[in-house]
Amino acid sequence: MSETLAIINARLVDPASGHDGPGSVLIEGDTIIAVGSDINVDAADEIIDAKGCILAPALIDLRASKEPGLTPDGENLATLAAGAAAGGIGTVVLAPNSVTPHDKPENLGAMIRDMMGAPVRMRVAAGATVGLAGSSMAEMGLMAKAGAVYVGCGDRPIADSNIMRRVFSYASHLDLWVACRPADAALSDGTIALESDWSARLGLPAEPAISERIAIERDASLAELSGGKLMIDRLSTASGLEALRHVRQRDIEIASSVAIAHLTLNEIDAGDLDGAFRMTPPLRAESDRVALVEAIAQGEIDAVVSDHRPTPFDDKGEPYANAVPGTLGLETLLASMLGLVHDGQLELIDALRVLTCGPADILGLPQGRISEGAPADLILIHGDVPWVCNPEDFKSPRGNTAWAGRRFQGRVLQTLIGGCIIHNYNE
Amino acid sequence: MTRAAFSYQFPHRHLLSVADLNPVDISQLFERAAHWLAVNRTPDKSSDTLKGLTVLNLFFEASTRTQGSFEMAAQRLGADVVNFAVATSSASKGESLSDTARTLAAMRPDIMVVRHNATGAPKFLADRTGLSVINAGDGMHEHPTQALLDCFTLSNHWGSVGGRRILIVGDILHSRVARSNIGLLNILGAEIRLCAPPTLLPLDVDQWGVDVFHDLDEALEGCDAVMALRQQKERMSGGFVPSGREFFHLFGLTHERLEVCAPDVLVMHPGPMNRGVEIHTKLADDPDISVILEQVESGVAIRMAALELLGANIRKGGKS
Repeated sequence: MSETLAIINARLVDPASGHDGPGSVLIEGDTIIAVGSDINVDAADEIIDAKGCILAPALIDLRASKEPGLTPDGENLATLAAGAAAGGIGTVVLAPNSVTPHDKPENLGAMIRDMMGAPVRMRVAAGATVGLAGSSMAEMGLMAKAGAVYVGCGDRPIADSNIMRRVFSYASHLDLWVACRPADAALSDGTIALESDWSARLGLPAEPAISERIAIERDASLAELSGGKLMIDRLSTASGLEALRHVRQRDIEIASSVAIAHLTLNEIDAGDLDGAFRMTPPLRAESDRVALVEAIAQGEIDAVVSDHRPTPFDDKGEPYANAVPGTLGLETLLASMLGLVHDGQLELIDALRVLTCGPADILGLPQGRISEGAPADLILIHGDVPWVCNPEDFKSPRGNTAWAGRRFQGRVLQTLIGGCIIHNYNE
Repeated sequence: MTRAAFSYQFPHRHLLSVADLNPVDISQLFERAAHWLAVNRTPDKSSDTLKGLTVLNLFFEASTRTQGSFEMAAQRLGADVVNFAVATSSASKGESLSDTARTLAAMRPDIMVVRHNATGAPKFLADRTGLSVINAGDGMHEHPTQALLDCFTLSNHWGSVGGRRILIVGDILHSRVARSNIGLLNILGAEIRLCAPPTLLPLDVDQWGVDVFHDLDEALEGCDAVMALRQQKERMSGGFVPSGREFFHLFGLTHERLEVCAPDVLVMHPGPMNRGVEIHTKLADDPDISVILEQVESGVAIRMAALELLGANIRKGGKS
């Protein structure tokens, strides 16, 4: 018989069941065996008194990235996993991007073997086309066999509608989601900012928000035609949201993610042209941000992702226009979301839904919920601990965060994965 | 020294954007430029105003006239001038701009004149080096000394640009000259008109304190000055405008079209010109109307004024 662990006196928040109230959890081995307010914990081998802190499922992040293997001083699997654990993230999906395209089954297989020993659950998404160039399909089937959980296009949309159609069509027989950045390739090519008064005055090459709408309409139509499953990879504008609502009226399998940056920052944060705020998609207008937060409250968004992207400082040692896009996000994902809760923009349970059962349900994962039989992937959160984001304190060796200097409220005290405590705040 | 110059100290350590200047700063720059303009017409042009200071010309984009103008200005003021040839240096070896900046700053220059294709690069360098930085053009953002020399040229004719009607015609969208001029002319109280096809206008440009026209003849009515912008050839071949000749027929400046302007209308161009695309060659060379060469002359004077005022603040160790 495995060891048993009880967590008692918690504020149990489980978005999957809609429960937010006092409760306890009993864990045997790596599985939750009982949940409720009247479970018998006397027989437990070990008891953790949560003292009223929030107990939630460990978070699931569908989009993060590390640096290419052997990058000197770079983010590797170990630092990435440590950062995820500290940020309360129990499952991390490494998504393809231009420097790590995940387009070869042999490389992907080796990577997945390397991930086996990580303290958090790590998964990989495969590149849909070779080199993410959008011209010929990658070996999706072999990569799915190796363990890829979805296929994606990275930051650059597949411009050719014929290729896009075939990717949907081919991925459908493997039952894989196709993650597409919602951007019209031509309208977004070479742009670094949202088309707005700000970018026009600064003379920045800019992308109109309707680029997202056009892409969503196209991709949804192609998915409908070919029976594919469309995952809108980082919706970022109100215009795109309108398109999402529109295409959801049809009979298409659609999921949508939003990056945490687009929920907590807007283009004005980049107003001083600090390269730390250069990202893909670019930061949007405040009205876009508000619309996205509202959409989460309405349950229209399935997942919020960290879009964690470690970048050497030297690459950010350039003016905004030339800086490599991307920000770290694993260690600030939860705190940024809690900021929206503290500000009264979101309910806690809604904020956690898109970080737990939302993404779990897209991929059909058993974790991301607190229920009998589910994996014991849990986090204990003190919702009020104040802290200041200092990149020096990160587990990541990189420091390219858009939240540097931000004041946060709320911290992960403990992270449990498969019943094992893998992170303790005070340690 | 005039009363205004005596009682008000030019407070800036950098010249990054016209938006940082107030009308008194501008009149101080113009007063000093007028002084240097006169000096530059004598055979005794050298001064030792900046003696002991080093001016570094850091041009990441090719430039002949702006770089030459800054170089001449700094040399006439007695500064040591170094032209850093960026195309053949570390930037092409993959060094980041912040590393380049730190390296150059370690050589202890005093003023850095920067042109770069990225918006904000001069400010980026100012933040990271602690040197005085003059923006000599950043991306499609600003080119403050160009706007200052344009307004200085006009005010030499009129006394002041306030209340005058000035038209800027051509590729506003990609033009840092237009952005700086719109900012500066607004500060100085001019009435600004823009004329271009919609493909060459920035988003919501009508919010920038200007009147927008698509018809040149309408736009020219009653104008005291017309500024043609340089049209880049690659944008004149179907991408933004169908052809150079179509552009000339719709938006090119000619003597005939200028008849609806104010009687003593002045024509300006920041150079280099594409004769027969944005301006008729005869008009460009008409000394009664065209002030294009005066602009070039003013350019040296205005850059001397800027270098002088920044240099004075460096000597004081002042911060701004």
